[in-house]
Amino acid sequence: MADAVLRTRALCKTYFGKVDTPVLHDVSIEIARGGFTALIGPSGSGKSTLLNCLGLLDPPTSGEIEFDGRLIRERNVNDLAAFRNGNVGFIFQFHYLLPEFNALENVLLPCWIGGGRPAAETRREAQRIMERIGLGAFRDKAVYELSGGQQQRVSIARALVNRPKVIFADEPTGNLDRESGQAVLALMAELNRESNITLVMVTHDREVALQADHIYELVDGRICRTLDVGRSGREAAARELEDRSCTFKQ
Amino acid sequence: MKKPANRFEWMIALRFLLRGRAQTLLIVLGIAVGVAVQFFLSALISGLQVSLIDNTIGAAPHLLALPADRLPAGAFMGGGAERRDSGRVLIDERTEIQSWQTYVDDLRRDRRVLRASPVANGQGFIERGGAVIAVIVKGLVAPDGLDIYKIREKTVAGAPELASDTALLGQRIAERLTLAVGDKFVLRNDRGGRLVMRVGAVFDLGAAAGNDLLAAPMDQVRSFFAIGGVSAVEAQVRDVFAAEEVARDHGRQYARVKLESWQERNRQLLTGLRSQSTSSVTIQFFVIVSISLAIASVLGIAAVQKQRQLGILKAMGTSDRSASRIFVIQGLLLGGIGSLLGLGLGLLMGWGFVAGTDAAFGLEISARTLLTPIALALAAAVTASTIPARKAAALSPIEVIRNG
Repeated sequence: MADAVLRTRALCKTYFGKVDTPVLHDVSIEIARGGFTALIGPSGSGKSTLLNCLGLLDPPTSGEIEFDGRLIRERNVNDLAAFRNGNVGFIFQFHYLLPEFNALENVLLPCWIGGGRPAAETRREAQRIMERIGLGAFRDKAVYELSGGQQQRVSIARALVNRPKVIFADEPTGNLDRESGQAVLALMAELNRESNITLVMVTHDREVALQADHIYELVDGRICRTLDVGRSGREAAARELEDRSCTFKQ
Repeated sequence: MKKPANRFEWMIALRFLLRGRAQTLLIVLGIAVGVAVQFFLSALISGLQVSLIDNTIGAAPHLLALPADRLPAGAFMGGGAERRDSGRVLIDERTEIQSWQTYVDDLRRDRRVLRASPVANGQGFIERGGAVIAVIVKGLVAPDGLDIYKIREKTVAGAPELASDTALLGQRIAERLTLAVGDKFVLRNDRGGRLVMRVGAVFDLGAAAGNDLLAAPMDQVRSFFAIGGVSAVEAQVRDVFAAEEVARDHGRQYARVKLESWQERNRQLLTGLRSQSTSSVTIQFFVIVSISLAIASVLGIAAVQKQRQLGILKAMGTSDRSASRIFVIQGLLLGGIGSLLGLGLGLLMGWGFVAGTDAAFGLEISARTLLTPIALALAAAVTASTIPARKAAALSPIEVIRNG
């Protein structure tokens, strides 16, 4: 891939405990800059772990991650936190909004973390993003007064506000009803096209995955299928996904 | 370089506290009660001590250089220590001090000593209209001699000036003999000496013993009682509790006089004062322990309650240090608000105590009694908050996110 914002080489992740649990095995993938990449696979396949490793939340046991041309060797959690603040946005299945703050304040939290009190321009930008995603009227509302779909949209705005290079979304619609989920997905796809921010999404929903440009399918912690939806077209990709006998790529 | 606590951390800390209003209010009240009790007790005990000290030694010398009477000369000679006076004690010097000026000068040169003055003492009788009463006659030198006994400050009638044939009388003598300023009376000594004196002023020293005093010019008292030197050198020190040390330091230098501090002369009072201080410190210690435990427990629970929030804040870039500072700031806010409230409550308790009881002493409010409980509460709050702060620092965002 010519312009990859993220590359992994032989990424492995094992959770050590009373019983060691290997989750990822030699995962080498590339994420296209400005594209929409879906990570799919059955439960327990390691897609969320891969997402967390890519998002620099969870350090891999071995292997390399190259983020925007920079090989991430950093093991200092505070330096990694600062790097995440400037480069990464997260959207989780649960919105993880802070009930102590209203909607707009939640959106502005990454700015506060990165540089203290947000400037007037940043506040205006946050309000513009909220307007764009249909939350203009709710910016002063307490987050617990919002519906599930609205809360997830606030977390989308929060992920966007620092203009990150990559947004990582882990089953962002998993906790929403079908209608709200579809609206949120449509919004994310639109934002990805508009803003050129790279979107990496974990989903178990093949319909959702088919909206992506690239799909990586994981089984038992290994990449078993890579689909370039942009090149093959959605229908071909859908047909290929129908084939459930995914095997590991050697 | 690490960033200092910024407004983000203060904002998060404040919102966390405001979100759990009832919990915050309870802990603030807990701290306030602790600080109030601490402040009140400390001010009350200080007040009692000040009152006791003032009544006992406020209008009296804090240390005395006395003649080496009753003790063999050798006892004052010591072994090898350098002496500023001769080790030989003359017969006369066993009851009076001849070279008193040396001792007065030496004491006055000591920065710890506020004032020093010689005194000639005698036991006399006043006759008036058939009545005879015994009085303690003090021959003083102005101004230090008068100020040691606060005679000028406590004069209730007349002018407190030392002049020949003029006596400054304690109020009890004046009342018993119905003497007023300007009245004349006869002072007698045990050798049959007789002196006609005029009342120059009447003073009220409060304590009964002080009001049995008759003060007159030292030279006149010396000649009246046939004292060649002086009876003692008296001194007051700036810090009353340093009197013993000053007496010890000067005592080492002199062989012909002995130095006695008020502490030596009032052992029982000293023991009482020390017991009060110890009990006060003990109570304050346990109050601080209970405040610390309360804060540690409340913030410890808060750290668990706020795990989700901390997890996402860390995922978004909050450093471990910043996360821990959020809890230290909460400790500071709780300690600060609680102690200010406690101080108000303590002042209210103090006001209630003064207004509601007829105690002979008030509260001693000083920078120490005001600031010590605040400083201790803040220190306790910050120390206690380090436990949840460590938890917050150690929290892994991925653990929170993986476990929902």
